Amino acid sequence: MSHRRSTRREFLAAATVTLGSLALPRPALAKGSVTAAMYPGTWEEAFRAHVTPALKAAHDVDLEMTPLFAVDQIAKAQASRGAPPFDAFVLDPGPRVTGIERGLFEKFDAKRLGNLARLPAGMTDEYGVTVAAQVVGIGYNPKKLPKPKSWTDLLKDPWVSRLGMTGFQTTYGTVSIIEIAKQFGGSETNVEPFFVEIKKVLPKVAAIGAPASMPALFQQGQCDITYTNTQTVATLRGRDVDIEFVKPESGAVAFFTTMHITRGSREQENAYKYFDTVISAPVQSALMQPPNNFIPVNREVKLAANLPMASLDEMAKFVKHDWSKINPLRAGWIERFNKEVAK
Amino acid sequence: MTRESEWQLALPLTLAYAAFFLVPLGLLIAVSAFGDDRITTLDGAQWRKFLGDPFTWKVIVDTVKLGGLTVAATSLIGYPLALVYLGAGPRWQRVILFVVILPLLTSVVVRTFAWIVILGREGVINQAVLWLGVSPAPLRLLQTEHGLVIALTQIEMPIMLLPLLSVMSRMDPNLRDASAGLGASKWRTLVRVTLPLSLPGLVAGCMLVFASATTAFISQFVIGGNRLVYLPLIIWQQSLVVYNWPLASVAALTLLVSVGLGVAAIAAAGRRGRAYAV
Repeated sequence: MSHRRSTRREFLAAATVTLGSLALPRPALAKGSVTAAMYPGTWEEAFRAHVTPALKAAHDVDLEMTPLFAVDQIAKAQASRGAPPFDAFVLDPGPRVTGIERGLFEKFDAKRLGNLARLPAGMTDEYGVTVAAQVVGIGYNPKKLPKPKSWTDLLKDPWVSRLGMTGFQTTYGTVSIIEIAKQFGGSETNVEPFFVEIKKVLPKVAAIGAPASMPALFQQGQCDITYTNTQTVATLRGRDVDIEFVKPESGAVAFFTTMHITRGSREQENAYKYFDTVISAPVQSALMQPPNNFIPVNREVKLAANLPMASLDEMAKFVKHDWSKINPLRAGWIERFNKEVAK
Repeated sequence: MTRESEWQLALPLTLAYAAFFLVPLGLLIAVSAFGDDRITTLDGAQWRKFLGDPFTWKVIVDTVKLGGLTVAATSLIGYPLALVYLGAGPRWQRVILFVVILPLLTSVVVRTFAWIVILGREGVINQAVLWLGVSPAPLRLLQTEHGLVIALTQIEMPIMLLPLLSVMSRMDPNLRDASAGLGASKWRTLVRVTLPLSLPGLVAGCMLVFASATTAFISQFVIGGNRLVYLPLIIWQQSLVVYNWPLASVAALTLLVSVGLGVAAIAAAGRRGRAYAV
């Protein structure tokens, strides 16, 4: 009997230790490291290949990455105030505005970036630094469809019956729908014309999918035309998928990906070193090469031929959006999209 | 060890449940009572808005219906396989069990994306359909309810079969022999002996499949796309895209109650079935 009692005690003790260890505070990070939230997939792989070694070589700082989409980073940071789960954000404009409004970032001092002078004007502000650009337009399969010219072509035959769409859950989806709405008389804050027009052609649309499944749907021939960014097009081309990028007549959309320091981060010094490494010319140049296909922000990087612009200054001519106006409307748009497209 | 102190063995799990299930559930209920996304006013406005919208009720019905269809498909296809298992020798039983468990070794994400390849316009099924001349154009399978049910049937099949096979393997073969020896036909033995004895496993499988299919966000969204809206999609949109946590909590609790009621209904049907059989 005494043997069984001791087993129970041991078991309880082990269980208590296990549970207790979960409750212990996270041990302080080793000196010389920074934990960065990172988009899963292309971004994470590219950063592991190029940024991690560059940061280690230049500053002896270890880069730890937590794979999270932009919206997940905001949700996580908000849910764990006071104990930030990572030191640096990487965000699209919509979540960036939410982060600013909800006070999730430390004040940013651009002067602490050694590469500041190599960035075009306006790439930094009191909240963070721009590290990459994204250009959104139309991707189509030239073997199956004629070349589309404008956003409105997406809703016309022969393209509409091969169209793959996503809703307002992503930045590229939201800006593309806004651009379609604009062609029918809408604006940045009025996407009503889009809903009117899409209703007329909805049964023809080939796919209305989850954002993460769009590349797979295109690759499998479920759709042959979609709104997308240059990076996705380049990545699919790298996998021998027949896809071409088209700048719509009204202009392709550009938006920037920015990095920010998490409020309450204990590794702010290293976060600046991390950002400075990301925007340095050698890293930006490496990130631009296939299979990464980033659009760089450093002036010293000679742009690759397949990018939709010859110089970074051309970006000024691309269509841009004010996310502080879009964000408050987005919840309503998402709800509306669900109702309009659901069977 | 005395009988009185045995409850202490359950203490670690009880504590873990209290800390990681009951407390978050309490938080979820508390958050759902707030009316705005900044969680400041306590007025239950999100409940009124959500449940007052006819679209919500369509989504609830669709979600429960998806669970029901998947349960029907997995039991109709799974039960005959379980009967084959029952009649097989020990070696074949091991083979069947291995084949049943095999899909569980692959991530549900991988299995779901594989179904895009199978159900797609240029996928295996459509190539066969076109080759056989069944239809002049590819069938639309992705982003339709039947396509999703086909995929979920495969994805959820192991959790239907595991409880079913475990009950089947414990069944006394003498009972079926006795039934046959007393002159019962194969069908009569199946309906009056095998089915009632395997009912606990079938009910457990149905409950697991129902709960899993109604909450299978990845499969629902990747295969169903945005054309098929279920409660998990609304929870994701509200919590992670627009950060309206009160509304997300309302949707989560609605899903919890819907699934709970569905599982309770299956359990009740199982009890009635046993009463009928006896």
